This record gives sequence, C-alpha cells and structure tokens, in this order.
Amino acid sequence: MTLAEESERIVRARAAAPVRRPAPRTGGVVRRVVSRYWTIAVLLVGWQLWASLNGYNRIVVPQPGEVVADVVGNSGAYLPDLLATLGMSAAGLLTGMAAGVALAVAVWTSPLVSGMTTPIALIMRSVPVVAMIPVLARVFGYGWQTVLVITTIVSFFPAFVFVAARLRDAPRSTSDVFAVLGASRVTVLRRLLLPHAVPGLLVAFRLTAPSAVLAAMLAEYLMGGRGLGVLFAQSVSFYQPERAWGTALVATVVSVACFVGARAVERRGLARMT
Amino acid sequence: MSQPAIALQSVVKEFPLRRGTAVRALDRFDLQIADGEFVAVLGPSGCGKSTVLRLVAGLDTPSEGTVTIEGARPADLVRGHRLGVAFQEHALLPWASARANVELPWKVAGRPVDTARVDELLELVGLTGFADARPRQLSGGMRQRVAIARALALTPDVLLLDEPFGALDAVTRRRMNLELARIWAEERITTLLVTHDVDEAVLLADRVVVMTGRPGRVRHTESIDFPRPRRTEVTRDPAFHEIVDRLTRLLDESDEPGHSDAAA
Repeated sequence: MTLAEESERIVRARAAAPVRRPAPRTGGVVRRVVSRYWTIAVLLVGWQLWASLNGYNRIVVPQPGEVVADVVGNSGAYLPDLLATLGMSAAGLLTGMAAGVALAVAVWTSPLVSGMTTPIALIMRSVPVVAMIPVLARVFGYGWQTVLVITTIVSFFPAFVFVAARLRDAPRSTSDVFAVLGASRVTVLRRLLLPHAVPGLLVAFRLTAPSAVLAAMLAEYLMGGRGLGVLFAQSVSFYQPERAWGTALVATVVSVACFVGARAVERRGLARMT
Repeated sequence: MSQPAIALQSVVKEFPLRRGTAVRALDRFDLQIADGEFVAVLGPSGCGKSTVLRLVAGLDTPSEGTVTIEGARPADLVRGHRLGVAFQEHALLPWASARANVELPWKVAGRPVDTARVDELLELVGLTGFADARPRQLSGGMRQRVAIARALALTPDVLLLDEPFGALDAVTRRRMNLELARIWAEERITTLLVTHDVDEAVLLADRVVVMTGRPGRVRHTESIDFPRPRRTEVTRDPAFHEIVDRLTRLLDESDEPGHSDAAA
C-alpha cells in the first residue's frame, strides 16, 4: 500500500533528521538567523518599495511601518479575535485528530467498518472545504459550532490515514514475538500498534496544525461571528486598511508559528518513539 | 527419553503460490527434543529450518503431520504464556527501556511484574547498568541480549531461538555465543536453535540436526558431548573442529546442484 510506504518513508526520514544541534556562538546565531530568514527582510523591503515607489495611498496599500504600528499599538483590538481563532483551531485539531485515530482503530478492528467508512472519509477529503462551508453553515448554524465542525473535518483526514497506515505495518518480527507470548488482540493494539502509530500521528499533526488555523479563519470570514477572519472582513468593509493588513500579518505569523511548533513537537516525539 | 518435550512427526509444510501450485518447505520432517535438551537445527538458507521453528512456536500450522509440545498443541502453550522466543531481528519496542522490554512478557500475560526476576535477568545478560537505556542507545549485541532476557522472562518451558545473533559481526557473534552457553548452563530450558552457523550450533547444542536443502528433511544427527559449562577452550579442542568440519561438509553437499533448487 503506497500510503503506508509514504508514511513509513516520512517517519524514517524524520527520525533520521538530527534532533538537536549544539548551541552555536553568538556570531553563529546571527549568521544562522540571517541565512535562514533573509527572505522575510527582502519581503518587507519589497513591500515598502512597492508602496512608496508607486505612490499608492494607504487605502490601496498601507506601508509596513503603519501596519506593524497598528498591530503593536492596538494589540487589544486583535487579541480577542486571535484567541478565538486559536481556540477554535486547537479544539478542532483535537477533536478531528481524536476522531481520525478512533476511526483508524475501528478500521483496523474489522474489514466491514473499513468498507463502510473509507469511502465516506475519501469524499470528505475530496470536496474542498470552501464548498462545504455554506452547506455546513445551513446545518449547524452561522456560529462557532460550524467553525468547530470545519476545523474538525480538516484535521480528521491526515490523522486517519497516517494512523491507519501505521496500525497495519508493525514490524513482522515484533508482531511474531507478541503472538508467541500469547498476547490478545487488545494487548497487541495497546502495547504494540498504538505506540507504533504515534509517529504517524505526529506527521499528521505537523501537516494539519497550520491548515486548521487557515480553515478556522476561512470559516469565520465567510460566516461571521468572532475571530481573525471576521476581523479581516470587518476592517475591509470599514476602510481600515492597516487593520486588514495587520490581520493578514498576524494570521501569517500564527500559521508559521503553528508549523514550526508542530514540527518541534514531531521531532521530539519521534526521538522518543523510535 | 520417556515423553519428548517437543515432537514433530512426519511434518509436511507447503506454502501456496500462484493458483494451484505450492512450494514444499518441509517433507516428512521428524524431530524429537527431550526435556532440558538443547537442539540446534542446521541447514542451508531456504531449507525450511525457520519453518520448523515457526511450527513449534505456533506461528504456522503443519499441512500434514503433528507438532506437539509436552503432548499439547503449540497454541495451548502460547495461551499459557509458556514459550520464549528470540529472532534475528531483536524485535524490541523502540520506545521502551531495556527494563520495560524485559518486563513485556508479564504485561502481555497480565501478571504482576516480578521485579527481582527482571533484575536477575538483566544481570544474567550483563546489562544491569543499561536498564534505563532505550534500544537505539544500545549496540547490536546488547539489543540481542535484551531480546534473550525477554525470552527467558517467564521461565518458559521451551525456548526458541531463530538465528538470534545472525545480524551481528563475527567477533560479537562469537562472544554472544559463549555468553549464551553460560546463560543456558544456568537456566537449562528445553531449547530449539535454528542457525546456519556450524560453530554456533556445535558450541551450544547437545544435539545438532543437519537438514537437507528444500524440501527440508533430516539428513544427519550429531550428538555433542562436550561438558558444560562450555567456555572458549572448547572451541580450541581438535574434537570440536573435527565435528565442525564434518558438519560443514554435510552442509556443503546439501547445497550442491541437484540438492539445491533451494536458493534463498
């Protein structure tokens, strides 16, 4: 099965990656930061030049300084919505991944369940979230419940696929040892397969965390309520360009932070489990 | 011997291939192992010797013939948690410490862990100082020692070893063999070892069974009478080399064309 191989490949590659490097000297730190993140500086400078050279006014393109000033100076205006979005993403991530693991275990338990659920899971994956939002909003109402449902759906599939793949490909010799020791199916699941599936879950977590934030914002933007998506929609309609761009900036930083954080969690977890 | 601990009677094992055809791994294979005896099954690769072990372990069932351990089916011993096994791959849990890996058989059996016995086993395999290390932090030889400690954990009635040192380098392998000879002299468990290493078989076993190429049958049985505990001096005994040479010749012959459509 290609998915199993794929997850195995990712897990292997991740496990092989160095976990921690020795702390470099201060000069080394500066050089490393510059060498890694110079693109961000280029982006900011480009933004500034683009705005000032074309002589755009602040309604069309606000300058980076103004945007950052708004984010830093009026952080109170951003914070409640930021927290709302983060809360929704985290809650959706948690329930979605839990549901993914539960269904993966159910599929492992019986081929009947597998035949029933796998097509549904595939359909949920193939239909873009944007297309589902209006339908789901009708069903669950225009509120936080629907945002939660959407982030859950987005978080569900990777966890399901990667965990299901790992549950199927435990090392043969270890499975044989469990068999000879007289292990029951539940014991095999609990002591061998679930721990063996943790690296797959970590891969799913890294892939999912940023997109959960994105999905939450998208849902908020389209449906209203609270959150960064709403803040963005409102500041656009009320001609607050610094606020709108500031929201985008905050969202970008949050997504990147989620990815970096999730990757760190994954690396730690892999070092522990393999 | 009164009742053998392990008895395989005219066992045939066939593995189905594409429709209708089957490959015969074992052909009317007979083997009896007495209580407390150490028997090594020696054969060229692909001769079905691992199949013998898998049948005794209850991991496979014979196509014809019977496999009994103490008069019962292997599955019954498995259910009673009375078998111990170690494979060429250490098959340790990578997320668990050496100690936790040795404790696994108790947890699988749903019994309280006998901490004193775990300590004793870790000492027996010389890993007292490494109890908290995880497999990736141990050398290949150490991992195999943990695997053997795990196999011995519940003081099984039967110990099954499938090339337990096959993945190690020659020097480590030799050291591990002497180590296993010492451990076995202390535990004296009925043991079936499957290997293609003649020195290993002769050093460890009371009896060496040489198999033919596929389909596997018993070609020759050799009793090894060196006194125990066997230490490194045994391997310098001319009698030891005489036996090793003779068995090696038998192995070579069973590998010759005509005998061996049995390439691994």
